[in-house]
Amino acid sequence: MNETVNIRELNDLIASKSNFLSVIRNGMNQRIVGQKHLVDSLLIALLCNGHVLLEGVPGLAKTLAIKTLAQLVDAKYNRIQFTPDLLPADVIGTMIYSVKKEAFEVKKGPIFANFVLADEINRAPAKVQSALLEAMQERQVTIGDETFPLDRPFLVMATQNPIEQEGTYPLPEAQTDRFLLKVVIGYPTPEEEKVIIRQNIRGSLPAVMPVVDSREVLEIQKLVQQIYIDEKIENYIVDLVFATRQPAKYKLDDLQDIIAYGASPRASISLALAARAYAFLRGRGYVIPEDVRAVCHDVLRHRIGLTYEAEANNINSDEVITRIIDVVPVP
Amino acid sequence: MIKAYREILVVLLIIFATGTALSAPTVKASLDSTQILMGRLATLRLEVTQEKGVPGGFPLFSGADKKGYVTVCGDSVELRTSYRRDTVEEAGGKIRIKYEVPVQVFDSGFYKLPEFLYVCGRDSARSNSVSLKVIPVAVTADAQISDYAPTAEPEGKSIFDNLPDWMVEYWWLLVIILALILGIIWGWRRYRTKGFIIPKKPEPLPYDVAIKNLTKLKSENLWEQGMDKEYFTRLTDILRIYLEKRFGINAVEMTTPQIVERLNENPAIKDKRDYVRRILDTADYVKFAKVRPLPEDNIAAYESALKFVEETKPTAEEIEAYKASLEAAEEVKQIKGTQNLSKEKKAGKTSPLKISRKPKQMKKKGGRR
Repeated sequence: MNETVNIRELNDLIASKSNFLSVIRNGMNQRIVGQKHLVDSLLIALLCNGHVLLEGVPGLAKTLAIKTLAQLVDAKYNRIQFTPDLLPADVIGTMIYSVKKEAFEVKKGPIFANFVLADEINRAPAKVQSALLEAMQERQVTIGDETFPLDRPFLVMATQNPIEQEGTYPLPEAQTDRFLLKVVIGYPTPEEEKVIIRQNIRGSLPAVMPVVDSREVLEIQKLVQQIYIDEKIENYIVDLVFATRQPAKYKLDDLQDIIAYGASPRASISLALAARAYAFLRGRGYVIPEDVRAVCHDVLRHRIGLTYEAEANNINSDEVITRIIDVVPVP
Repeated sequence: MIKAYREILVVLLIIFATGTALSAPTVKASLDSTQILMGRLATLRLEVTQEKGVPGGFPLFSGADKKGYVTVCGDSVELRTSYRRDTVEEAGGKIRIKYEVPVQVFDSGFYKLPEFLYVCGRDSARSNSVSLKVIPVAVTADAQISDYAPTAEPEGKSIFDNLPDWMVEYWWLLVIILALILGIIWGWRRYRTKGFIIPKKPEPLPYDVAIKNLTKLKSENLWEQGMDKEYFTRLTDILRIYLEKRFGINAVEMTTPQIVERLNENPAIKDKRDYVRRILDTADYVKFAKVRPLPEDNIAAYESALKFVEETKPTAEEIEAYKASLEAAEEVKQIKGTQNLSKEKKAGKTSPLKISRKPKQMKKKGGRR
C-alpha cells in the first residue's frame, strides 16, 4: 500500500513512544488491580489535557489510582479534600498580610499543581466547586489583582460518591460539562478481589517511582494533537451528538421522552479529543469509529440530561448512549 | 258668500285628504259552512284590508290558553289560534290578509259569533257577525258501536315504503359502511389465520442485491479514477448490508472488530471471516488513515467480497422458499386488485427503552441533598 508520509511517520512516532504508555501502565498495575478502563480513562484525560470526574462507591481505588498516576509522572501533585466548610480561597489561594514586609502577599492554593485530586467534589458548596471548575476551564487563577497561569500539564481528577447523597451538593450540569470524561467505576471481579486482598494484607502498598516527567507528557500531548481524524469520523461524531439532541431524526423516537437535553458542542470537541487519545493508546496515528465508540460513554454520560420519567423508570444515560451507538450508522 | 264657499271647500279637502291618507282597516268575517255536525271543524275566514307596513292583529287571539284555544259564545265555540294567514298586496299601498281560523263546537245549537275586533296601528275595526248552526249527532240506544275503519293500503306499495326516510335518502352511505365492516371482518380473519392482511412483497435475495451492486461498483471504475475512498466506502457498504440481510448481523451499525467478532460466533461463516476482515481492515486504512491502496489491494478487496458473497450464497431450499413467498405475494396482489381495503401491517422495531406511563417515583434534581 502507498501511505501518505505523515500518517506513516506518525504511526512510527507513536510506536516509538509506546514506552511512555507501557511504563505508566506497569506502574499503575503495581498498585491498581484490574480497573483497566479506569487506567485508560486517566491516560486519555492526561493525553488530551482534559479533566476527569470519577464516580464510584467508596473503596474502588479512585483516589489511589489518581494518586498513583500523579506519582508516576514527575510532577507536582496536590490533594484537596472537599468538605462543606471549604472556601474558594482554600482552593485557589488568597492574599495574606505580611507583617515583616508590611504588604499583602499572595498565598497560592493547592490548585497550583500539575495534578490536582479534588476528592469528593460534591461535598463542597457550589461556590467552591465553581472556583475550581473556573480554574479548570481558564487554566489560570486570579488572586487579588494578579492573574496566575496554572502549571502545565494541568489535570484535575475529581471524585464523587454516588451514594450518601445527604448533605452533598451535586455538580450542576454546566459544571460537569467541563470534565472531559466522567468515568463510572464498577466492582472488581472475584479473581481481582483476591489479588487485592493479598496485596493489601501485606502491610504497605508497593512504592512507585516517577517514570516520566511533565515535559514528556507535554510532548505526548502535542503528538496526540497530530493524530488524523478523517471527515467521515467527524461526521460520525456529529451524528452521535446530534442523535442526543434530535433522536427522532435518527429513528430513535423512543428516546424523545427520555432525553431532556442533548449534548453540547463541547461534547463533540471532547469526543474528537478523547477518540484521538484512544487511538494513541492503541498505537494508531488515525482515528477509527471504534475509537469514538470506546470513549463515547465516558464523554457523553454527564452531558445528556434525562427527564423525570426516565429517572423514575430507572433509565440512565449509559443505556441511552448504548442505544444511540447501536442505531447511528458507522462510517 | 265667496268666503263661506272657500271655507266649506277647505273643510271638504281636509276631510278627503285625511280619509285617503289614513283609511281605517276593514274586516270581513265569513264561515265556510253555516251548519256543521257537533264536534266537526268549520273554518272562520277573516279578511282584513289595511295599510301596508302597519302592524295589526286580533287581540282576541292573544288571549289563547296553553293549548292554543280561544272560546267565544260563553265557552261553547272554540277557535284555534293555529290559523293560516295569507297576505296579498293590493294597489294603493294596501294589503289584504286572509285568516283561516278553525272553529269547533261540541254543543248543538245556534251560535252567533261576536264581531271580531282588529287593531291596526292607532286604528281598529270590527268584523261583521256570523252565525253557525251546530247539529247534534243522532244517537240511538240500540245502535252498534263501530270500530275505526282499517287504514287503507296505498296502491303499488314497495318494500322501501316500510323503511325510514333517512335510510332511503342515505342508502349509499349505508352501503359504504357495510363494505367497510365486511372488509374489516375479512382483514381480521385473514390476520388471525395467516398473520398478515396484505403480505409484503419479499425483498430480493441479499445475494442478488450484493452481486448486482458489486457488478455496478466494478463498472463505475472508481479506483481507476483515483476515488479510492469512495470505492472502499461503497464496497464496505455493500458487504455490511449483505451481512445484515443475509445473516442478521447488524453490520451497518458495527465497527470492524465487532463485525469480525460476530462472524466468529457464526459457525456457518466462521471460516470465511478472513475475507471480510481483510476488506474491512483495508477499508479502514483507506477511509480513515488517508492510505492510498495499490491497484492490487483494490482488486483483492473486490475479489474477496465477491468470493464471500458467492461462498455464502443461499441454498436451493432457501431459493425455493423465496420463490414460494414471491408467488404468494403475486396472488395477494391479484386479490388486492378487487379488494383494496387494508393497510399494510407495520413491522416496527421494539425499543428496549420503554417508559411506563405511571412513573414509580419522582426524584428532585439539584440543590443540597
